[in-house]
Amino acid sequence: MNFSIPNVILLAVLGLLGVGLYGLLVMRNLIKVVVALQILAKGAILALVLAGRMQGAIGIGQSMALTVIVADTVIAVIGLSLAVQVRRHCGTLDVQALSSLRR
Amino acid sequence: MLLNILIVVGTLICSIQAIRSNRLLISALWLAGSSALVALLLYMLGAAEVAVIELSVGAGLVTVIFVFAINIAGEESFSIRRLIPRPITWGLLAVTVVLLGGLTLSHMAPVLPGIDALPFAKAVWEVRGLDALLQVIIIFSGVLGLLGLLAENSGAGQFDPISGDKPGVKL
Amino acid sequence: MTITAWLIIAVIGLPWVGAVAAWAAGEKRVKLLNILAPCFSLAAGLAALLLIGFSSAKVSLSLPVGGAFGDFSFTPDGLGVALAAIATVIGSLAVIFSIDYMRGESQLSRYYALVLFFIGAMAGLVLTNSLLLMFVFWEITALCSYALISFYNDDPKAVAGGIKALIITQLGGIGLLAGALLVYTQTGSFEISNFLSIAHSLSPILLAWMGFGFLIAAAAKSAQFPFQTWLPDAMEAPTPISALIHAATMVNAGVYLLVRFYPAFREVIGWPMAVMIIGAITTLMAAVMALVANDLKRVLAYSTVSQLGYMVYAVGAGGVMSSQFHLLSHAIFKALLFLAAGAVIHSVGTRDMRQMGGLGRQMPIVRTVFIIGALALAGIPIFNGFWSKELILETGLTNGPFVLYLVMVFSAGLTALYTFRCVWLVFYGEPRTQMHGHDAGIAMRVALVPLAFGVVTSWLLAGPFEHLLSSTLPFHFPGAVSTTSTWEILMEVVTTPATLFALVIIALGLAGWWWRDRLSGLTKALQGFSRFAADSFGFEKINKAIVNEAQTSGEALRVTQTGQLNWNVAGILIGLVAVLVTLLLGAGL
Repeated sequence: MNFSIPNVILLAVLGLLGVGLYGLLVMRNLIKVVVALQILAKGAILALVLAGRMQGAIGIGQSMALTVIVADTVIAVIGLSLAVQVRRHCGTLDVQALSSLRR
Repeated sequence: MLLNILIVVGTLICSIQAIRSNRLLISALWLAGSSALVALLLYMLGAAEVAVIELSVGAGLVTVIFVFAINIAGEESFSIRRLIPRPITWGLLAVTVVLLGGLTLSHMAPVLPGIDALPFAKAVWEVRGLDALLQVIIIFSGVLGLLGLLAENSGAGQFDPISGDKPGVKL
Repeated sequence: MTITAWLIIAVIGLPWVGAVAAWAAGEKRVKLLNILAPCFSLAAGLAALLLIGFSSAKVSLSLPVGGAFGDFSFTPDGLGVALAAIATVIGSLAVIFSIDYMRGESQLSRYYALVLFFIGAMAGLVLTNSLLLMFVFWEITALCSYALISFYNDDPKAVAGGIKALIITQLGGIGLLAGALLVYTQTGSFEISNFLSIAHSLSPILLAWMGFGFLIAAAAKSAQFPFQTWLPDAMEAPTPISALIHAATMVNAGVYLLVRFYPAFREVIGWPMAVMIIGAITTLMAAVMALVANDLKRVLAYSTVSQLGYMVYAVGAGGVMSSQFHLLSHAIFKALLFLAAGAVIHSVGTRDMRQMGGLGRQMPIVRTVFIIGALALAGIPIFNGFWSKELILETGLTNGPFVLYLVMVFSAGLTALYTFRCVWLVFYGEPRTQMHGHDAGIAMRVALVPLAFGVVTSWLLAGPFEHLLSSTLPFHFPGAVSTTSTWEILMEVVTTPATLFALVIIALGLAGWWWRDRLSGLTKALQGFSRFAADSFGFEKINKAIVNEAQTSGEALRVTQTGQLNWNVAGILIGLVAVLVTLLLGAGL
């Protein structure tokens, strides 16, 4: 494995994915979960643009990355409004306390 | 090249701090920093338009929404006891990242190829026109969902996680 | 843009605009809804009727959406415009009928919005030339059907009926999706006309997979054997919905699918025979079940399944014109029967025929139109059902095995028998309980009378209909455009011996009811059989067994659903690792 620019960017993508997934696996606060999702999405955007560039078709890569940006912004908005409502109605943002599936 | 490595390291540090910090507001600020650095990386890859969009949306809009939501929801601290045991977390993560890396890292060409002449506007609106339509639908349904969620205060009782009664929302 | 393109946009878009308007009007302004909904649907019906004049075989409206999925194209050929006209015109009559029927119900904005959304989607389904769009419209009609069956959503039977209908038709939808994806990978585009022109050069095995995939989808959507159990349970829907969706439009989508792709699959070994056998078995089974049913709407539901079996049988035998003509006749008389039954149910408040009787004196108009529809269903001469059913039987006799022909003729006799039984139990004889019926209201009459008129006269369109089909469907009718006139077609029907044979069997069927007292020994001997038939020939037991199995296995797997976010994400990661390992091993990287 050589230390060229594509590989460095790929390492960045892997790192962002790893950090985002760690956040999803460990965090219990709903708002932190949304933060982790955002980080995951940044990794995806970077990967898409990199893939587009490696094929030489930067325009197509950018349009796909645009779709991901739109989608992840909408996810952040809905996720945060859900968190606000959950806090208002249940009084807590802890994932453990909100789990209502009965044993 | 060195610049690239520095920015990548900066991005990773910002994102790790965003996850690790205890206060939600500081976490949102670290996320904004991470977005800005990712935008810089995108610009250095040659995607200038998406870089500016990512900067304004990711580092601007999303951060504002986060601050708004955190102010309404309020800070909260609870026990740090993890639900999944530590070895499982680290093991699963390591396996995933190593597999992904192994599948991709050895197959990248050593240089970035040249850029073709397809302008961004043409790519978004003509070649991938269906994507633009789908994005409009996503935004529309996102706004509708937001309105539906935030308008729920009329006659709503308390949601009880144990018994599962919910206030009905008629659309 | 040409006139044709604007008309196509009007036929699909006007009901959708009406749906949004109905949703925005809110459920309090009932008078506004009662004006808006019929206006939009009537406008769409007008556009569809105008479109018949502009029908052609080439793509008339093409919306470019980027290169990935091909264009969204629409072709107003004979198959499409006929079904679009049926969907919009009968749809508007059903909406007008709902003004009286749904008086006093709540959430009417949701009702009208869903009905209008459905009408637009059905018109789009039959007019489109792109397999991807056809699948999208297919799913939209399934969604609207589910939402409307469960319209009375505090009644558990209605909800259960809706979910059952959704699950069975969606399982069929998998067949459509698989077939469509195979078409895309083999031909490189979603265009149906493209597929039909090169179908003969594709590999026979793949063609067989596509054909049987589409057959499963069509059988599930049209409630054919072995998927027939959902239609009788869907009768919990309000009756105008049963008339529109489950008699005139959505269940015809399966038959439409078979007819549309018939030129591609007729060479596949075993496909035409499988289609004919499924049609024949369904016709016979459903006719027997209609004979022993006691719920008025159930009888009509089973008779719908039976008549759809006729159409499917005709497609298998190669009779494109006869199956579509019967589809037209059936849509008109079945909608008439359902709406008239709705008038009866609305006034007496029950669906059980054993509690009705002697209603003919109290509801003369409804009785008259119901009898007109029933005579068409039984295949009595002069009414439109007779002509189209005889055309099908004749096609079946010349192109199919004789055994199946006998089964179909016997079912025609059974049809006459159960139809007569139904009419007698509801409208004649002495009242069995103290039922008070009032005649149909103004809006109901406005909907019923044009349909009755159509039943009496639509067979006159046979010649122009055949001309329309043969001139706009180059793959179904290769060769010269047909110029047979209506008179020639009718003469042909009247003079073949097959017609005489069928008429004799129908007369026997009617006689069977008249002399039911003398045949009482026979009916007692068949008691056990009739109980078996009422239980849907054991299919309900199979259905319940599958449902129980699914529930117990779900309970057993419950431990994996912790409800905690972190464990769920861990599950996702485990799946991802499995996929990556498979890639690593399989791709030999």
